[in-house]
Amino acid sequence: MNGTAAIDVSHLPNLVSGGRAPLWWAMVLLLAIEGTVFATLVVSYFYLRMVAPAWPPPGVEPPELLLPTINTIVLLASSVPMYIADRGITKGRSRRLLVGLGIAVALAIVFLVLKVVEYSGVSYRWDDHAYGSIVWTIIGFHSAHVMSLVLKSLVVGTLAWRGYFDGRRHLGVQINGLYWHFVVAVWVPLYAVLYWAPRLLD
Amino acid sequence: MDQGPDLRRAAADEHLELERTWSSPCGLIGWFSHVNHRSIGRRFIVTAFVFFLLGGIQALLMRLQLASPESGLIDPDTYRQLFTMHGTTMMFFFAVPVMEGFAMYLVPLMIGSRDMAFPRMNAFGYYVYLIAGVVLYGAFFLGMAPDAGWFAYVPLAGKTFEPGLRMDFWATMVTFIEVSALVAAVELIVTILKQRAVGMTFTRMPLFVWAVLVMAFMILFAMPPLMIGSVMLALDRTVGTHFFNPAAGGDVVLWQHVFWFFGHPEVYIIFIPALGMVSSIVITFARRPIFGYKALVLSLVATGFIGFGLWVHHMFATGLPYLGMSFFTAASMLIAIPSGVQIFCWIATLWDGRLVFRTPLLFVLGFLVIFVAGGVTGVMIASVPFDLQVHDTFFIVAHFHYVLIGGAVFPLFGGVYYWFPKITGRMLSERLGQWNFWTMAVGFNVTFFPMHQLGLEGMPRRVYTYVDGLGWDNLNLLATVGALILTLSVLIFLVNVAISLRSGAEASADPWAADSLEWATGSPPPSYNFHPLPVVRGRYPRWEKAEGPPVVVIGLRGDRREVLVTQTMEATPDYRSVLPGPSFAPLWLALAATVAFLGVVYDVRLVPVGGLLSFAALAWWHWPREHERTPPWKAGTAS
Repeated sequence: MNGTAAIDVSHLPNLVSGGRAPLWWAMVLLLAIEGTVFATLVVSYFYLRMVAPAWPPPGVEPPELLLPTINTIVLLASSVPMYIADRGITKGRSRRLLVGLGIAVALAIVFLVLKVVEYSGVSYRWDDHAYGSIVWTIIGFHSAHVMSLVLKSLVVGTLAWRGYFDGRRHLGVQINGLYWHFVVAVWVPLYAVLYWAPRLLD
Repeated sequence: MDQGPDLRRAAADEHLELERTWSSPCGLIGWFSHVNHRSIGRRFIVTAFVFFLLGGIQALLMRLQLASPESGLIDPDTYRQLFTMHGTTMMFFFAVPVMEGFAMYLVPLMIGSRDMAFPRMNAFGYYVYLIAGVVLYGAFFLGMAPDAGWFAYVPLAGKTFEPGLRMDFWATMVTFIEVSALVAAVELIVTILKQRAVGMTFTRMPLFVWAVLVMAFMILFAMPPLMIGSVMLALDRTVGTHFFNPAAGGDVVLWQHVFWFFGHPEVYIIFIPALGMVSSIVITFARRPIFGYKALVLSLVATGFIGFGLWVHHMFATGLPYLGMSFFTAASMLIAIPSGVQIFCWIATLWDGRLVFRTPLLFVLGFLVIFVAGGVTGVMIASVPFDLQVHDTFFIVAHFHYVLIGGAVFPLFGGVYYWFPKITGRMLSERLGQWNFWTMAVGFNVTFFPMHQLGLEGMPRRVYTYVDGLGWDNLNLLATVGALILTLSVLIFLVNVAISLRSGAEASADPWAADSLEWATGSPPPSYNFHPLPVVRGRYPRWEKAEGPPVVVIGLRGDRREVLVTQTMEATPDYRSVLPGPSFAPLWLALAATVAFLGVVYDVRLVPVGGLLSFAALAWWHWPREHERTPPWKAGTAS
């Protein structure tokens, strides 16, 4: 064009990862939303505890610690293979990606199974009292998130199986990993609130 | 400049190619695959105005009922449904979506981009909004509308006092529409952070874009608590949890906390983008740069923060500890400071400007007067003893209508007159616009000013009638007359729009000689918004005469939907993002999510079914399309 200076951007890349990618920002914002959701649940837990004369209510034992603690370690451990998978594909190692995803998904399924075992043994239901309502709701919410981790990672795994990801195109793996680590990390305060707060804060 | 015919033909070919790439499909079926930000933004605006009319008709019916004492026009049950639907409609289905619609339409144009960052998410948000509205109104016309008020206080909204499905519809559809708002918020933030024109640093961003950014962040943190609240309400009602049941260890005030922790920021979510509209209009019609740009930006951000610290002032009557109430009184008075700073900045700009008294500016002036009046009563009821006196009376009704209609609807109408030429390519009639403004200003004040007095005299809100002889008759009749004038005003507006769409004067690209980038392209803009892309060198890109030749960006491909992504802070070119074209995936996802949400109302077993269907729709959505499967460095032949 005459009399006009032009900046040519045709050499710029089409694929980026991390903070340069809009999708990465969208996932961070989604995590902010999710974080607010879980924070609201925790605040509601303490609010109900504040108005309750006894917490947990009479007749309910404080939750047992052994199984949930082991299970927490299982869930925390699942972040390690996920991290290795993510690092692996950044260097173009698609085998490492597949194996990492597989182990992480297996650990998440173990977590879910142990949660079912644990909560089929508790003496109260969600419709017994407010304590039951909030505990079951938090567990249900978080378990639904772990379930969505499994489903999402199966989709990512299928794409990886078909050779979709490589050293340059791995944003999908990164985003999936970000979400995975969040759901694992958010379990730590939930674990502390559900299993330790009834014992320590009396 | 003399260009050769070859050059001209090449330029025309480029535009043709872009038009082919970016245009949305025609036809009824094609309609459901649109993803373009202007198409979706227009849908949001039009749908929101339909809900505005519905909510307005409900208000008019209530005013007709209250025109005389002990009137039998409307029975108490219908009246309760009317005020609940009026509040729910205006807050959830009109005010927030209409602001989102304008933001979606205008933000990419103002920041010089071709579309938003995630076009399909936009479309998904719209279907969710539409479905939520249609389901709620379906229930209304079947006589099953919610009737516990728009803030659905328990225990009134609980199963004991509301055995039917009414509040189930409310709880699920409100949660559903929050999804829509959250999607829009994420989308707007990412677009503003990553897709601004080259050179548009944060200090050069138009104030409307700043306002949208603050609104979107507020949505992000305000809506999730209400989602949890309405999920708890729905669980209490459907599977027998006890969150709000004191007999089993629950607490009713918990609902008020989660509701108002959302509900107060909600007011600012509506109001802040309206302030952005005011700034745009003031700059253009005062014909000078804004006074105190930085002060205005900081005030917007401060309002966004303080807005989260006020929620308890809705709950002064619940008997909270005095220290807590004093804190919230202080915070409520504090918010007057950033509001005052903004008002003075606009007044200073207008003071020094060469004012052009067209309809948009009239609505802004109306906003200044009415909003300040609403702010004054706001400071009054921030004080606990006064609030306890007027709690649940018409004084509160008067206050929040002054703030919401004055603060948001007047700027919105100004914004409609201002941007209508950009969106439709036609001017609205100036004469009808002036009639629209004056009837609205008069009608509004005649309707709502008497309510202050009625409230001070003790008339309670949300009661379907009042007995004769309390001295409330004349003021109520006056308020109803005002409502009729307001109705006339809205009718004038509709006539104006209809005439303009049929035979209005054609709008040029920039009919107001305005400063910002949306006026740098056609009215209405071409489907690709800009070609070549603009480069920004100042805060008022259309007004500033920069040194040297104008600079543009070239080099985006025309055969697929490419947008330029810039670096977050410096706004320098970073990469070319490829956007998806028309798609039905958003519709399928919205329908699948509807199954899950209706499951909460009808049969809980549908919830996991809807969840799995949503997962399937999402997987299909994200599955790479044909052209994405083989990356260019593997294909060899690709460009």
